[in-house]
Amino acid sequence: MASQPRRGGVSLPERRGAKSGENSSSVIARLRESPIVLRGRQAACDAAFVTKKLLKSTGKAAWIAGTTFLVLVVPLIIEMDREQQLNELELQQASLLGTPSQPPK
Amino acid sequence: MEGVVPPGTSTQSEVPKPTKEERVDYMNLPCPIPYEEIHRESFMSLKPELFEGMRFDFTKLLNPNFALSHSVYMGPTAIPSQSSETIKIPTAQYEFGANFIDPKLMLVGRVLTDGRLTTRVKCDLTDRLSIKVNAQLTNEPHMSHGIVNIDYKGKDYRTQFQLGNGALFGANYIQSVTPHLSLGGEVFWAGQHRKSGVGYAARYETDKMVAAGQVATTGMVALSYVQKVSEKVSLASDLIYNYMSRDVTASAGYDYILRQCRLRGKIDSNGCASAFLEERLNMGFKFILSAEIDHIRKDYKFGFGITVGE
Repeated sequence: MASQPRRGGVSLPERRGAKSGENSSSVIARLRESPIVLRGRQAACDAAFVTKKLLKSTGKAAWIAGTTFLVLVVPLIIEMDREQQLNELELQQASLLGTPSQPPK
Repeated sequence: MEGVVPPGTSTQSEVPKPTKEERVDYMNLPCPIPYEEIHRESFMSLKPELFEGMRFDFTKLLNPNFALSHSVYMGPTAIPSQSSETIKIPTAQYEFGANFIDPKLMLVGRVLTDGRLTTRVKCDLTDRLSIKVNAQLTNEPHMSHGIVNIDYKGKDYRTQFQLGNGALFGANYIQSVTPHLSLGGEVFWAGQHRKSGVGYAARYETDKMVAAGQVATTGMVALSYVQKVSEKVSLASDLIYNYMSRDVTASAGYDYILRQCRLRGKIDSNGCASAFLEERLNMGFKFILSAEIDHIRKDYKFGFGITVGE
């Protein structure tokens, strides 16, 4: 039975003491029910929840940025590189032959 | 267009230099762009014909004036559906077309395998008057339409009258106000849909940039801006707003025209990134690649093709 509303399914349900016959004031039971330990467990659950969400949204953002970069920028880089190679080739030919060369059809 | 250098500036100072500030000759303004082409530069840069699948186009010139074209397309076609998912059905089609181009007369016709016939006729009756006809005939009843445009080009203005089937009447007028600015307006009435509207448009262009805006009472506001960064590169952006349905779309893109290729890329506020590349191969034909990624609807479309001839 969960004592708080379900969020992300990360929180663990409170467990009834398995040793029901034991004296309820044993040291370990008292430690487990102490407010500090409870608060620590709550903080750990929250941290795990937030980290999972952050990872997921970072992953989504990285995917969108990566695929958009691939479609918009990579062809541009390739074509600009080819244009630069063509320019260098023409410059080389012009300096070798001494006449301006024709652009390839 | 000749400008007049303002007199009297050089009498007491040094040798007169040609100034950039020439007096505007308001009697000799240039003829403006036709009204429907007001967004021409941004349309060419931002809206390439993206497609999905394979495309093959072959154009053969039989005469300096006459050409035949064959075109094959295979790929999925999206069926408009009411649910949020897009349904795609693989289709294949062949299109045959004939073009006759004369200085005074242009006839273009295309026939598809599903029985659709598209024609365009443009005839220059005189130096100033021309008639254009656009028609599309289909097998399905009530889906055929045609429209006739009569254009008159004056010294620094243009007017156009439109008649279409379904009782569509329209008229528009555009006038050059300064050497860079032109303003225009339009009126239309569609009998079948019982709609009528008035619209205004303005266009400001210089050597380096073009800005155009259009408003209509149908609720459409369209603004566009194209900046020519160099002779090979231009950047374009565009905003379309419908104030009736509160729908806004903004897009920005680039257009690189290099010697061997033409690359157009665009990103949208609807979460769409698209690119279109036309590369001229050594053997005299063009290789086309098209890509469109829609992140919101998770719809990815990629296509390739070859164009032979012009």
